[in-house]
Amino acid sequence: MKLLLIGLNHRSAPVEVRERLAVSKSALAEFCRALLAATPLREVVVLSTCNRVEFYGVAADAAAASLALRRFLCAQRQVPDSVVEQLYERQDADCAQHLFEVAAGLDSMVLGETEILGQVKEAYQAAQAAGATGMALNRLFQKTLAAAKQVRSQTAITRGSTSVGSVAVDLAEKIFRDLRTRSVMVLGTGAMSETTTRALHSRGVRRIVVVSRIPERAQVFCDELGARAISYEQWEREFTAVDIIISATAAPHPIVTRAKLEPYMKLRRFRPLFLIDIAVPRDVERGCGDLDNVFLYDIDDLQQIANENRAAREREIAACRAILATHCARYMAWFVQNQAALQQRYGVAETAA
Amino acid sequence: MERNLLWLAQACYAVSGILTARRLRAGGPPGAGQRLTEAVMAVGFALHTAFLFMRGEAIGRCPVTNPLETTAFIGWSAVLFYLLIGSAYRVSFLGAFTAPVVLVMCLVALVSFADVHAPAAPGTSRSPWVDFHVAIAIVAYGAFALAAVAAGMYWWQERQLKSRRLGASFLLLPPLEQLDVITYRLLVVGLAMLTLGMLGGLVAYWLARHGTLPKMVWAWSIWLAYALVVAARPLWAVRGGRLARLTMLLFAVTLLSFWGISQIPNFHRPAP
Repeated sequence: MKLLLIGLNHRSAPVEVRERLAVSKSALAEFCRALLAATPLREVVVLSTCNRVEFYGVAADAAAASLALRRFLCAQRQVPDSVVEQLYERQDADCAQHLFEVAAGLDSMVLGETEILGQVKEAYQAAQAAGATGMALNRLFQKTLAAAKQVRSQTAITRGSTSVGSVAVDLAEKIFRDLRTRSVMVLGTGAMSETTTRALHSRGVRRIVVVSRIPERAQVFCDELGARAISYEQWEREFTAVDIIISATAAPHPIVTRAKLEPYMKLRRFRPLFLIDIAVPRDVERGCGDLDNVFLYDIDDLQQIANENRAAREREIAACRAILATHCARYMAWFVQNQAALQQRYGVAETAA
Repeated sequence: MERNLLWLAQACYAVSGILTARRLRAGGPPGAGQRLTEAVMAVGFALHTAFLFMRGEAIGRCPVTNPLETTAFIGWSAVLFYLLIGSAYRVSFLGAFTAPVVLVMCLVALVSFADVHAPAAPGTSRSPWVDFHVAIAIVAYGAFALAAVAAGMYWWQERQLKSRRLGASFLLLPPLEQLDVITYRLLVVGLAMLTLGMLGGLVAYWLARHGTLPKMVWAWSIWLAYALVVAARPLWAVRGGRLARLTMLLFAVTLLSFWGISQIPNFHRPAP
């Protein structure tokens, strides 16, 4: 018996191709059953995320199973041969190692991201519910989930955020005790300020004040994030009540200066203030960051931290692979030892394996 | 014999400190390493407690008869406070930082001061007011020591945030606001206890003329300084970085001046 993987991901295929083969979460179980019926695969798990569509299977004849799977996809998804020709293929140890690395986030677009582990678990559970898994894939996916958890707990592969918005949130969480009770003022409504505000909103920030010269842009914040819009002339009046300011205006000169900020800090009784300046040219005078309890980060600072975190994660790859290789070797040893049992279970003659 | 227990306790605190330093450098996630650090610290605390208990048994009174014993008692109080509040605030790293501070305090005391016992004057040293005054005041200094540790963590975390250079320890340290709250609450608790201790000292002086002028001037000066720091928050909005720096400075001054003034002859003896 052979372990087989056929799939595509964000590196091998553009989103236009990935979306044509993607399987929705609700359709996963049915899709697994259809695959078992239409191909020589004896076990199958379908992993479908934004960045990858992968089919993990067990078959007596890997070549025949691969061909049948590709034909099935062409027919079922109505895609031309050129699409299924782009699918990559792995077998046995390469297949297992690939799955271990996927679940550990080593193959993700954002190295070390943790969402994939949940997606692998969901894919496995859907296949299991459909009766599409047997002793080979059950063991493989159970070992995969355990290995990924070990990698997360024993290495720094998930440490530190790697996007500007998430870095800003990490910093906010290191300044304030509880973001849910904090208020944010958004000055200027560009894409970056929206991303950063959304990141803060996802961690519990609910009091958001948005200041924009473009009412339509401000409306997006009001509708989707429950923000309160105020006019540009009013923003300084709100200043003493907010804890975090995200500034991204198109002003040609700093709009928050040290001279302006100092009296406000006294009015705030020196409560901490986090200034996130993502405007170019910058909105906040650099000297503001020297004031007591004021923490100022501009776009370059945030980008640099994100880059450093990314580099730190890349340095962990070797340690992660070492852990995963041990799990992979153990699994493959079991897989080889249990060939006879697998063949017997699936009624395969020994020569076919 | 009991001095060996104190040395062993310091060895545990040293191991705990080394484990902490390694975790800070590596910046790894909390787990088995953290539990080991806490276990070693707990063993250190048990040995530390055994030292104070045996010394108290040996001299027949509260073991604060010389700078070594007093420093050891303050360090013990700091660890005790950590054990009491550490779980409440879920800041296990506070304990990890406490171990090295207590270690330094006790090592300085162990190697710098002669471990001799001032004989108690009849009728004075056994006064319950003296023991009350001393014990409560020392527990208060333990609170101030832990406040200084929390303030040190604040200072370190603030330095990383201000300089925009985030080390491996950045993600392990608690948020600044939490450290600020812990520091201030410890200062308030410490001041309340010190006030009680000082009142007990006044009663002891009134009943038995126990105490010396330099000691009283020093003690009330320290009380006044801490009272000002505690009052500075509501009155002048002294918080965050400024509170952290003041707290660390004041504890350093308290400890150094205590060690200095302890060298005055008859410091611990009752007034004639």
